[in-house]
Amino acid sequence: MLENYELSPGEKKFIGWHLVFGILALSIGSLFGPLQAFEHAGLDLYPYLQPLFKSYYQGLTLHGVLNALVFTTFFITGFLTLTVTYGLTRPLRYPKLNAVGFWMMVVGLVTTAVPLLMDEASVLYTFYPPMQAHWSFYLGLTLVVVGSWVEGWGFYYTYYAWRQENKGVRTPFISFSSLITMVMWQIATLGIAAEILTMLLPWSLGWIDGADPQLARTYFWFTGHPLVYFWLLPAYISWYGMLPKQAGGKLFSDSLARLAFWLFLLLSVPLGFHHQFVDPGVPAGWKFLHAILTYSVFLPSMLTAFTVVASLEYAGRQRGGKGLLGWIRALPWDDPSVTAQLLAAILFVFGGIGGLTNASYNVNLVIHNTAWVPGHFHLTVASAVTMSFMGISYWLIPYLTGKKLWKPKWAVIQSWIWFVGMIIFSNAMHVVGLLGAPRRTPLGLAPYIPEEWNGHLLRVGIGGAIMFVGMYLYVFIVAKTAFAKHAEPATVEIPVAEAMHDPQETPDWLDRWVPWLIGTVALILVAYGPQLIDQIANISLTSPGFKVW
Amino acid sequence: MTTKQSMHIDPYEKNWIRLSIGLLVMFAAAVAVAGFALGIQVPTSEQRVDPKTVAEVGPWANPGLRELSPGKYEAYVLAQTWQFMPREMTVPAGSEITFYITSKDVQHGFKLQDTNLNVQIVPGQVSKLTITIDEPGEYTYICTEYCGLAHAAMFGKLIVE
Amino acid sequence: MAGHKDSEHEEFHPKGTIVVLLIFVLTLIILWGSVYVILLSRGVTV
Repeated sequence: MLENYELSPGEKKFIGWHLVFGILALSIGSLFGPLQAFEHAGLDLYPYLQPLFKSYYQGLTLHGVLNALVFTTFFITGFLTLTVTYGLTRPLRYPKLNAVGFWMMVVGLVTTAVPLLMDEASVLYTFYPPMQAHWSFYLGLTLVVVGSWVEGWGFYYTYYAWRQENKGVRTPFISFSSLITMVMWQIATLGIAAEILTMLLPWSLGWIDGADPQLARTYFWFTGHPLVYFWLLPAYISWYGMLPKQAGGKLFSDSLARLAFWLFLLLSVPLGFHHQFVDPGVPAGWKFLHAILTYSVFLPSMLTAFTVVASLEYAGRQRGGKGLLGWIRALPWDDPSVTAQLLAAILFVFGGIGGLTNASYNVNLVIHNTAWVPGHFHLTVASAVTMSFMGISYWLIPYLTGKKLWKPKWAVIQSWIWFVGMIIFSNAMHVVGLLGAPRRTPLGLAPYIPEEWNGHLLRVGIGGAIMFVGMYLYVFIVAKTAFAKHAEPATVEIPVAEAMHDPQETPDWLDRWVPWLIGTVALILVAYGPQLIDQIANISLTSPGFKVW
Repeated sequence: MTTKQSMHIDPYEKNWIRLSIGLLVMFAAAVAVAGFALGIQVPTSEQRVDPKTVAEVGPWANPGLRELSPGKYEAYVLAQTWQFMPREMTVPAGSEITFYITSKDVQHGFKLQDTNLNVQIVPGQVSKLTITIDEPGEYTYICTEYCGLAHAAMFGKLIVE
Repeated sequence: MAGHKDSEHEEFHPKGTIVVLLIFVLTLIILWGSVYVILLSRGVTV
């Protein structure tokens, strides 16, 4: 039935607009990446950007907010609109509701961008108080988040309508996993909503005199870590639900894929203290509990590793791959979408290892706030996630526009360029971080740099330069495809992988929401409740705002 | 629907899940040993202060070292944009130093290079950790959290003689 | 309904997957372990 289903031109356009805003944000935000990397290597270009961009930190804030918050949120809501409707083979139940959500996000984006560009909000994408941005920055972020919620509600209505028409049928995997992603996001963002609405917004408007920086950190990281899974799960949807088909195989295990997603819902939120291991205002016992919970969310990723690799091995063998590892070569490495996602997964191996290190309680003392951390998350959000989204867009943009991808060979090369640049960059960042180099610091200006860091900082610059080429080659290819006047028409079939076993055989408890939702809320109450109550009960709004950039 | 339902876990995958759990338990044990047997700990909640007055009244009005007994010190460090008070401290090798660090303005970080002392500094809170340094030398402490334009210039020195 | 499908896949044992994942586990132990050793070498914090 999937083969016959086609999105309406209006739906395609709607999803396309998500991509336009997302990729536009990415192409502006990425301008600053090489500026930071070159600065580390000893070449500071910021003085030449005056008075357009005032400081390293204005650039770094734009880089983080536009790439990690705006690009991801727009791309994800657009992609999930496709996976929900195409998977359920029915249009959105209330398309106007989703449109309202989308335009709220756009208004939010503009509201955030203005103070950012005016250097009134150079507070980085964690915006820790008592550093204080202009109130419009907080308001804009709120609108982006609430807009994404509204789009999520549109998905739920659509699912409910489908369920009424299809009782007893297993929810198709790509829709099922998209809905879980959205539910997880809506629970997770309650933290940032509380932070902004009860503290930062009234404080920046002058309605209250002070903020409580410790409580703000607790609220922020309630959202901050699951945010990582909000980025990652759409990539997993593609790796489980689409990549096997693109590679010429099948999803190895439908039931374990679903179990992994339930575990992500259950475990993504109650572990935020692992970002606060060295915070002064959180008891060590709670930190240890969250360390253990973070270890447990590593399990669904280990499940994912097996299921995805096994699905790929099956595909490679179907394509004639022989021997223990010969199937890897047999995969369609000439398909830019496949190559991007395979390379994304390879880089994610190291992202996962670094993540487990960060989460390991006292081991965090070695790397906390060092260059290791951005080295790590460039392997996750800027590799596993961004490369997968690039790979997805290599079929999605032709699908939406009906135009053939401009020079697929160049798209393959693009992935390899990003991959090589990222290896050099992230390795250097990890190593120099272990040696003690701080993150978020223009190291070219730091008076305390030991000689032994210099070689690594040079590699940061080299890696950054290569990634710069990779990024703008991507932007060029997708723009060239989307805006071509005389492109060859493309007939793209949305890749949806069949499972090896009929999903109808998947146990019923893997398609039921209520018990999993109850478990999720209960676990959050156990892991966060007592500390939240304690910190809120002892709130001290003593910090006035500072503008120190 | 009459389809037979079952979990269908491939035997290879079953073993992989076992291995994964075993691996995570092993790592957790290693972390617990380092934390609770060897005593490599993270900070815990200590005390609250008022960031508006902390530089005028109390121990941070006069930041620096206090010798409690021979070889045993307390170090009161005040972070502010964009310097640490004090900028330099000297202790004999083998000293045990308990750091009490807070901020009078924005958030900062305190990382004593080549040691495990690495904490977030949050206004209104006190970051406390105790270390012992045996090896003589100059140890740099740097600010590791973005605290404004001159963040990169914020550092100090602990001299161990 | 799924009977013939099962026998079709009976043949497939993901041996290569196990090899790939064992290499991953080995890398994980080495890299994680090396940071853990750095932690131990930098002394005690209480």
